[in-house]
Amino acid sequence: MFLEISKIKKGFGEGESRTEVLKGIDLEIKKGEICVLLGPSGSGKSTLLNIIGGIDNADSGYISINGEMTADMNEKALSLYRRRHLGYIFQMYNLIPNLNIKENIEVGAYLSDNALDVDDILRTLGLYEHRHKLPNQLSGGQQQRTAIGRAIVKNPDILLCDEPTGALDYNTSKEILKLIEDVNKKYGNTVVMVTHNEAIKDMADRVVKLRDGLIRKNYVNENKVSALELDW
Amino acid sequence: MKNPLIKRLPRELKSEAGKYFVIFLFMVIVIGFVSGFMVASGSLVKIYDESFEKYNIEDGNFELNSEAEDEVIEAIENKGQIKIYENFYIECETKKIDSTLRIYKNREEIDKVCVMEGELPDSKNEIAIDRMYADNNHLSVGDKIVVGDKKLMISGFVALSDYSALYASPSDMMFDAIKFGVAIMNEDGFSAMGENGFHFNYSWKYNNVPNDDIESKKMSEDLLKVISENAIVIGYIPMCENQAIQFVGDDTGKDRMVFTIFLYIVVAILAFIIAITTNNTIAKEANVIGTLRASGYTRGEIIRHYLAMPMLVIIVSALVGNILGYTVFENVAENIYYMNYSIPTYVTNWNADAFIRTTVVPVLLMFIINFVILTNKMRLSPLKFIRRDLKIRQKKRALKLSTKIGIMHRFRMRIILQNMPNYITILVGIFFANIILLLGMGFPQLLDKNQQLISDNIICNYQYILKAPVATENEAAEKYCAGSLSTIEEEQKSESVTIYGLNSDSKFVDVETKMGVLISEAYSQKYKINAGDTITLKEEFGTKEYRFEVEGIYDNPTTLAVYMNRDYFNKTFGYEDEYFNGYLSDEILEDIDEMYIATTITEDDMNKMARQLNHSLGSIFDMFYVFGLIMFMLIIYLLSKIVIEKNAHSIAMTKILGYSDAEIGKLYIVSTSIVVVLSFFLTMPLVNTIMKYVCEIMFMEFSGWIPYSVPHSVYVNIILSGIITYGIIVFMQFRRVKKIPLDVALKNVE
Repeated sequence: MFLEISKIKKGFGEGESRTEVLKGIDLEIKKGEICVLLGPSGSGKSTLLNIIGGIDNADSGYISINGEMTADMNEKALSLYRRRHLGYIFQMYNLIPNLNIKENIEVGAYLSDNALDVDDILRTLGLYEHRHKLPNQLSGGQQQRTAIGRAIVKNPDILLCDEPTGALDYNTSKEILKLIEDVNKKYGNTVVMVTHNEAIKDMADRVVKLRDGLIRKNYVNENKVSALELDW
Repeated sequence: MKNPLIKRLPRELKSEAGKYFVIFLFMVIVIGFVSGFMVASGSLVKIYDESFEKYNIEDGNFELNSEAEDEVIEAIENKGQIKIYENFYIECETKKIDSTLRIYKNREEIDKVCVMEGELPDSKNEIAIDRMYADNNHLSVGDKIVVGDKKLMISGFVALSDYSALYASPSDMMFDAIKFGVAIMNEDGFSAMGENGFHFNYSWKYNNVPNDDIESKKMSEDLLKVISENAIVIGYIPMCENQAIQFVGDDTGKDRMVFTIFLYIVVAILAFIIAITTNNTIAKEANVIGTLRASGYTRGEIIRHYLAMPMLVIIVSALVGNILGYTVFENVAENIYYMNYSIPTYVTNWNADAFIRTTVVPVLLMFIINFVILTNKMRLSPLKFIRRDLKIRQKKRALKLSTKIGIMHRFRMRIILQNMPNYITILVGIFFANIILLLGMGFPQLLDKNQQLISDNIICNYQYILKAPVATENEAAEKYCAGSLSTIEEEQKSESVTIYGLNSDSKFVDVETKMGVLISEAYSQKYKINAGDTITLKEEFGTKEYRFEVEGIYDNPTTLAVYMNRDYFNKTFGYEDEYFNGYLSDEILEDIDEMYIATTITEDDMNKMARQLNHSLGSIFDMFYVFGLIMFMLIIYLLSKIVIEKNAHSIAMTKILGYSDAEIGKLYIVSTSIVVVLSFFLTMPLVNTIMKYVCEIMFMEFSGWIPYSVPHSVYVNIILSGIITYGIIVFMQFRRVKKIPLDVALKNVE
């Protein structure tokens, strides 16, 4: 299995105020799949994403990507792991304010020896004519597209998306989801997407529903539709 | 592929142009100023060190009461293992210019002369005078000068290698390049000057050069015994104790140390300011850093990125500072040294030490401080950055403030607590700025006060010391005895103490002593001696020691003196009962022939140290004052700017809530103002204590004593200068507050 998540547990706080956010998660995701993690607030989906991304540690259990175990990695190895395998997209785009759009994408390209062509990405994302603008000169959707560009330009094995449409309107959200779908098709990356929007599950290959730190449902979506067909 | 983050650097420079320009300017001035002094002092030390061999500077000199016979010279040379050189001089008053000139025959073997302008005297009516004395008295080559009763033409300006500092006497507290000078005449001219003021001075060189100061001291003590056995010694000064030769080397060494410490303190403060501004930038860009870290950027890459700009600014300013140091500031320093020392012409010597101290060390210091702070910050996980949770230690809960305190006051207290690192840096910065301001404003006042104290405590207007006890008809005069002994403190170099023997009913000094003495307050303060203690002093040119019981302290805070009953004086020093060697008088004693007068000490003579220090250091004090104000402005500007920027979101929110700009100013600017004013009042007593301590250590090095006393008006002026300067900053920060748009509170950080 490409991405293996085994017996992951994670809690916050100490003593009586301790909360177990993840109570033992087991999950396997195939290469090239779009996996949507669904769940209400506090269900542990973002925590799980952060542990997959190596920016948070599990209390127990392990994550394995192509046989590489993140639990055994030190800080330096984790950086390298993220550098080689992961692309991150956040709800708040987190672009660098004083770099223009093209340069923001180059920041991602710099991390890879096999980076994709930045201009190609800009064209694919429909940002080519905006490439010399600063982030604050663009709309929210355009900024999120830039963030997607920054994440995919290094051609990561896994694209981690934390509520990528959380700050966007209906049409822009669909546009962004279509883009993620296109990227997945074009480059074959595995996509793990956290959302609380139930409608998005329809574009996924695999749907995982979490509640109270446990997987309640984990199934392969047989009726997958295009992102443009989504409605909510 | 080059790291695309590099492209941010010029943009950051542009967007933070004000901040980086101020840091750049300040560093350029500091490094330029210090490197200028380092280069000038390095060049000076080099030529000074070389001058000992080049000009064959003596190992010491002694004065006899008359010309020594050849056999005497031979005996001293053989027993003392030295070579003696005749180095006679004549001391003459100059007319029109109120000064004394010490004239030597041109020296060809020892203490050779450096001609700096014009030429050596060719005829008996020509004289070559010291360059610095000429400058101070506005004399030019070709001018005529009346020395004694001779009108002489100045043929040139010279520097005498044994008078790099113009000390007229080894017991002088400070050299006096205004009213004392040295000069050279040719053999005919020297002979024509007559016998009045003639001194039988001899210089010597050891056959075997002493290895160190201890051996040198021992050899000079042995030599004094040898000379005393063969002749009557009235003056004796080995080179290691001769301030006229040693002062330049000692003083320049101290200058270098002081400037280095000053530079490092300023650099350390700047490094902390830069670290705080970097911290602020990191806080502002936390989510971006988190994203970069989550994307795979390493800690090292992020640290290097945030270190790059400040280091670049520092390196460039260090280089520009050095260039200015070697060009503009070096000339300033050179002029200051030429105003103080009578040194031969020198060429600028490029030295690695100055470069290391002013460039390599500050850059390293800046790097280390910033690197440590950044590395510490980067220990946080990427997730914490994404969540903007940058506290390394989590605060358990907010400090509880009483609800009885009004909300505005509580608000301000919270701002101060939130910005504590900035405000602590402001406190430290104001502390150092105050030291510099106190140096600039307080030191001239201290010298003025000292001058005033000298005038207030002078025994009488004219203190005559006679060559022979002659009578006067003037009833204003009072007989007294005067002598001098040397201190024998082990840790300090020995210095001269004036011994007064006064009539028991003296109208000038109230000496109610029996078998003991009074000592001056200056002596008491400098050597920590109190009534009831015993002091031991020794002959200046001999080995006999004297012990005195201190019965009390006499109110004279500026002169090292011992006062005793004249009978006790004569008994102690083996004179007859009615012996005296001087008169104290408030009037000029016109009926005493000048040939019987050895010296007349007036208020003007007592004030020569303050006069010379003011002359030498006046421009430096001004520089310190301006520099202190600039440093103060820079620190407050940068740190208060950070406070406003850090709180931009809150400020925008308070604007949305309906607070006016003035009300917001009262919250954020008044908080900084409270810290600034408090810092002034809190640091001033400490600054005063440190200055007192530093001055006392410095004055211990001088002969004599200057009591530390800075008038209260100086502190008021410092605080007023600070507050007025701060007013400009307040105006700038208020404009900054006004410019913060409301939407800052509404949009995300992009």
